Amino acid sequence: MSTPQGVTITKTGEQGAFGGELLTVNFGPHHPSTHGVLRLIVDLDGEQVRSVKPVIGYLHTGIEKQMEALRWQQGVVVTDRHDYLSPPINNLAYALAVEKLMGVDVPPRADALRVIMSELTRLSSHLVWMGTSGLELGAMSMLMYCFRERDTILDMNEEISGFRMHTSYIRPGGVMADATPRFLEMLDDFIKTMPGHIDEYEDLLTMNPIWRSRTIGIGRLSPEDAKVLGATGPMIRGSGIDWDLRKSMPYSGYENYDFEVAVSDDCDCYGRYLVRIKEMREAVKILRQALDRLPDGPVNVDDRKMLPPPREELETSMEAVIHHFKLFTEGYSVPPGDVYVAVESGRGENGCYVVSDGTHKPRRVKFRSASFVNLQALERMALNHMVADMIAIIGTADTVLGDVDR
Amino acid sequence: MSSRGPLSIAENLVVERGVSAGDAWVTVEPANIKTALQSLKDDGFRLLVFLTCVDHLVDTSRQWPARYELVYELRNLDSKEQLRVRAFVDGDPPHIDSVHDIFPPANWEERETYDMFGVVFNGHPDLTRILMPDDWVGHPLRRDYPVGGEVVEFSEEHQVWQTAPEDA
Amino acid sequence: MGIEELAESLGQNILTTTLGKVVGWGRGNSVWPAQFGLACCAIEMIATATAGVDIARFGSEAFRASPRQSDLMIVSGRVSQKMAPVLRLVYDQMPEPKWVISMGACASTGGVFNNYALLQGVDKIVPVDVYIPGCPPRPEDLLNALMILQERIKAQGILPRQ
Repeated sequence: MSTPQGVTITKTGEQGAFGGELLTVNFGPHHPSTHGVLRLIVDLDGEQVRSVKPVIGYLHTGIEKQMEALRWQQGVVVTDRHDYLSPPINNLAYALAVEKLMGVDVPPRADALRVIMSELTRLSSHLVWMGTSGLELGAMSMLMYCFRERDTILDMNEEISGFRMHTSYIRPGGVMADATPRFLEMLDDFIKTMPGHIDEYEDLLTMNPIWRSRTIGIGRLSPEDAKVLGATGPMIRGSGIDWDLRKSMPYSGYENYDFEVAVSDDCDCYGRYLVRIKEMREAVKILRQALDRLPDGPVNVDDRKMLPPPREELETSMEAVIHHFKLFTEGYSVPPGDVYVAVESGRGENGCYVVSDGTHKPRRVKFRSASFVNLQALERMALNHMVADMIAIIGTADTVLGDVDR
Repeated sequence: MSSRGPLSIAENLVVERGVSAGDAWVTVEPANIKTALQSLKDDGFRLLVFLTCVDHLVDTSRQWPARYELVYELRNLDSKEQLRVRAFVDGDPPHIDSVHDIFPPANWEERETYDMFGVVFNGHPDLTRILMPDDWVGHPLRRDYPVGGEVVEFSEEHQVWQTAPEDA
Repeated sequence: MGIEELAESLGQNILTTTLGKVVGWGRGNSVWPAQFGLACCAIEMIATATAGVDIARFGSEAFRASPRQSDLMIVSGRVSQKMAPVLRLVYDQMPEPKWVISMGACASTGGVFNNYALLQGVDKIVPVDVYIPGCPPRPEDLLNALMILQERIKAQGILPRQ
């Protein structure tokens, strides 16, 4: 694993340090790594990587253009699908932005339900990461165990919103519907059993000599590099910098929950793995607190200009009928202005910049995507490592290509 | 806003300032964008959160100085303040200086803005399309580019989405 | 390919139909998919391969990485303009007989996204055998589609596809 002394970064075609020429290899968009359609053009000197150039755009969906053509309340459905491993967190960023522009505050029960869904999603996203990373590095049983827990979380999603993955649960004005008693029961059972499962994963991986030798020392990202490259999420917390939006710039009532920010000074893939495991434990802690303190009350803001009136009112009140009609044909209009709201997803800072021109459709919606910025750090992490380590490094960056390409 | 008083940007660079839904913003001339961002970075705003463009074609909510508005959001990790810097450019294609040497994350963000809006960043090392295929014609996020897709019968959108919007 | 030429030259008779049943049974029960997970549906496809909803029971034990070793392409996810030529290239690399399942709304018709950036349905570039609606479809939906495909494969026998 040691590099020869005095190796410099060379360009394609030039002489490599070991005597041969540099070879350009294409890790094409269709390859076995389950991270989506990412294409990497890698210059190799023997087995060592000399440069990595990611080519993206293979999953570009035109989400930002699509949102300009949909009304404000319709846009929620589309926000689910860019970072497809954590849909409620994307919904939350958009909902908070629209609510800020409208100047409304959601009731406390809605905030608590939003926190519950966000933490469940964080768990689900880290489980997918661990399962697929384990699969790539050879620990195939991790995939089976992690997806078993994820299935429980998806069952809970289905109970509360009817959808397994793209719930569209968190909407501007509140949430889609109140939690059913069965959901609260399922959540309680889940919170009791999940720490045991996390212990299981740690038993399998944390002191495993193969896992350690494949991740310790690989993909080093120094704290200065992480700050300069704008990385967020476990990429920056794995390099020792204590920055988590839930603690530093809290939203949705996160300041009321007692949890620690997971930080590791290792600066390598193993450190990021430890950060994510700790984040999973802290997520269970937050879920316990949120469930115990779940306040009563309405789950939606009581503003007829934003949300439709209950069906019973339509029989008696003309004004309710007019509001209902206007909301379902044209939709509400948001006052002109622009706002940026960021939330902490499993990958880092996922934010939504919304520009309104006063009409019933947005002028511009821009998603600040954590994976887009984190992917630019790939070259810095992969330099002078072996080809086989590239797989570990792509895995540790935990990029979701839907988020990168939008 | 900062408790130390006015920002470190020299007052002669700031064209306008304001607050929008709780977010502080300033407008600078596009020619001064590098100086302004460098002085903000020296003052502690060391993270470029995002960089994007907004197309104000036929936007009647206020008087806009130019059609394309470039938006840079900066954050100070120590004091947790955020500031939005705007620059209005016009032209076909519009030009502005690249800030990738001040903030490395801007490299790909500027490529994306070029791909989607056609804004040319002077001094960018590799200004090529990043999300659309390399031989794509047109800049999709401009307001006069139609949404595209398939015509869906009996939907109110099918007429609107197939033509470039007259009134956005 | 040799079996199909033989079948054509012999025509439809008792020998070829019985052989066809055996071959169809063999092919149908060992369909090996090529990994072609693009977006959100890919996660549900991976979930189909895990222990709760095991696709290996139906013969799809191995999701081959190389298209040259697989029979089935499950297009799971949205196909963008940049990805379309790559998808066609992968499809062309698969040897006959090959089948395509279009999983999810985006692969079948473009889904939620009716815009410039997506192919409105993967059937614009490859022939599709089974469409699965849903956004994303449940893992059980994928199993159902696989079972429908298996019926079709068994019914096809050894005659080449039209």
